[in-house]
Amino acid sequence: MLSSFRLSMTWVHTWFGLVLGYVLMVCFFFGALSVFDREIDRWAIPETRYEPQPMPSFDAMLQPIFRSIEPDPQSYDYAQDEVHGPLPPRESLAMSDVGAYTTHRDPVLDMYVSFDVPNKPKDANLDHVHVFGYATIDPRSGTVISNDKLKIGSEFFYPLHYSLHLYWKNLGYWLVGMAALTMLAALVTGVVMHRKLLRELFTFRPRKQMRSVLDLHNLTGVAALPFHFFFAFTGLVIFAGIYFPVTNSMFKPQAEAHEKVEELRTGLPHDPAHVAAPLASVDAMVAEAQRRWGERGMPGEVGFLGITHLGDANGYVSVYRAGTDRVTLTGQGIHFRASTGEVIREDPQPSAVAGINDWLTGLHLQHFRHWLLRWLYVLGGLAGCACIATGFIFFVEKRKRQHAKAGVSGARWADAMGVTAVTGMLIATGTILVANQLLPGDLPQRGDWEGRIFWLAWLMALAHAFWRSAPVAEGRLSPAWREQSWVVALLCTAAPVLNWLTTGDHLLKTIAAGYWPVAGFDLALLVVAAVAAYAARRLRRAELALVATAKPRRESLEAAHA
Amino acid sequence: MPDSLLLGLALLSTLCAMGWLALGMNVHWQQVYGDVASSARTVRIVRVLGACALAVSMLLCLSSDHASIASLVWVMSLAASVFFVAFLLSWRPRWLAWLVPWART
Repeated sequence: MLSSFRLSMTWVHTWFGLVLGYVLMVCFFFGALSVFDREIDRWAIPETRYEPQPMPSFDAMLQPIFRSIEPDPQSYDYAQDEVHGPLPPRESLAMSDVGAYTTHRDPVLDMYVSFDVPNKPKDANLDHVHVFGYATIDPRSGTVISNDKLKIGSEFFYPLHYSLHLYWKNLGYWLVGMAALTMLAALVTGVVMHRKLLRELFTFRPRKQMRSVLDLHNLTGVAALPFHFFFAFTGLVIFAGIYFPVTNSMFKPQAEAHEKVEELRTGLPHDPAHVAAPLASVDAMVAEAQRRWGERGMPGEVGFLGITHLGDANGYVSVYRAGTDRVTLTGQGIHFRASTGEVIREDPQPSAVAGINDWLTGLHLQHFRHWLLRWLYVLGGLAGCACIATGFIFFVEKRKRQHAKAGVSGARWADAMGVTAVTGMLIATGTILVANQLLPGDLPQRGDWEGRIFWLAWLMALAHAFWRSAPVAEGRLSPAWREQSWVVALLCTAAPVLNWLTTGDHLLKTIAAGYWPVAGFDLALLVVAAVAAYAARRLRRAELALVATAKPRRESLEAAHA
Repeated sequence: MPDSLLLGLALLSTLCAMGWLALGMNVHWQQVYGDVASSARTVRIVRVLGACALAVSMLLCLSSDHASIASLVWVMSLAASVFFVAFLLSWRPRWLAWLVPWART
């Protein structure tokens, strides 16, 4: 037991912060990028560079496309591992549910189909397993966009920030969950350690080495404290079903009973009737839903359109309003009998608890139309990164001289990991963007290659950080920080230039056309390049200054020995 | 009034609020005015101004967006303003003197 409460809190803050800080860095940085995930998608897939589109006609366009969607081979293989016995052939699986989802920032429309699987799941907690199929279309023409093209923003950076792309036994979700919990603990312990929370709210003393680092750590932590707290907390709320899977395990009978009660209460059939039925005009249902929203004084576009029990007498169509002007994602659902088009149910106002849950998850997932708030979120996310990075630096700076004297290498390894988590992460990010521009357009499974190149770049940054870390063991600065900053500057300059060369969309053109998804991302990359180059030059100066002060010291030591 | 103008004014209001609240602290007052200490009356005035500006910015946020969004914009604008004022104090502290024209000598 440590001698005082504050020392105990310091211990928790330091060690938990160090160990899980690397994961938190990923969550905050790629979370900040995810604020503009759809815009990054436009940058990565040039053929989708046009204005966002509303939900297209179901009857004329979506219905035939849904019919053509096949079970995804990866999803099929995954389901095969989850069930007893061999699955029926892929092409013979029957569709059960379909859905299409869009937001005010999406030029493309994401569509999915779930296919029924007759096999019994291996997991006794599950009733059934589904195989999924996906399609992304251009809603103007119905053209299907190849799934080989990786949506770097929404399919790579965004899932990276909550799953780390480690899907085995949901390992990534658990690591991120632990990191989020650690973040909450670090905020509380940090507040206890700080003591002068309000008195030093505006304090930043530059050019004072350790003091400056600590000031920046405190400033970025305290000024954005509500942001850090709410994003760590709501992240946990969103995945509560994974962390506390009680409905599928401990409370399974209650959950099943609840589903039956819900069915009676809402009139929405839980199970199919296994009697075939035609589908009435879905466009007419959408028009009716929009009329009803208008009557409530909240006209809007469709955010989600789904059909449950497709082609069955119990089938129903759900139309949800896009939450463009609210924090809640989608809402005001109206449900129709699929075979006749009559309204079964209009979702009432959410209860107080559901409303709070919607607000908490909505504020994190941010599908609203509010560019100022989006940028403020990016600022909050980057402040979180700065807070964590300065935490690493403070940890190393505080210890490296003692460690150098004692011949211990702890600070050296912590510093190398810090380099990997900060500049290494930026290198990996820059590399995937450059790879996206350079890989041949018709390369099979192009997206998988982009992902592999990302991880390889990060691994190389890790190796470089460890290889160049020797000066830290002597109490000096690792040149890896500077060298990797130069690589970041190079990559972030190369990416917009390559975007220009491969697509012809240079900055003058995109700015003149007011096409901000691409112009904004190019500009952001150039700003990062400039900041990285500036940091590299400052680091060089700091290294030289340290060498200059170390030299006379060494000479005087040698003179004393002579 | 267009929303962008309302939001711009809301941001300006939180910026001023944070500037005034910082000037209400002696250490920051001295960053701006050297070793001259602020009077108790001035401290009271800037703190009241700071609190009022925070309230005004919240009203401006509420008049621009649905309350659920406005609350988020307001809280995040506080964070942005704290950063702005903290970096201004370490870079060009004299600029904050614009917020207290009556104290200029």
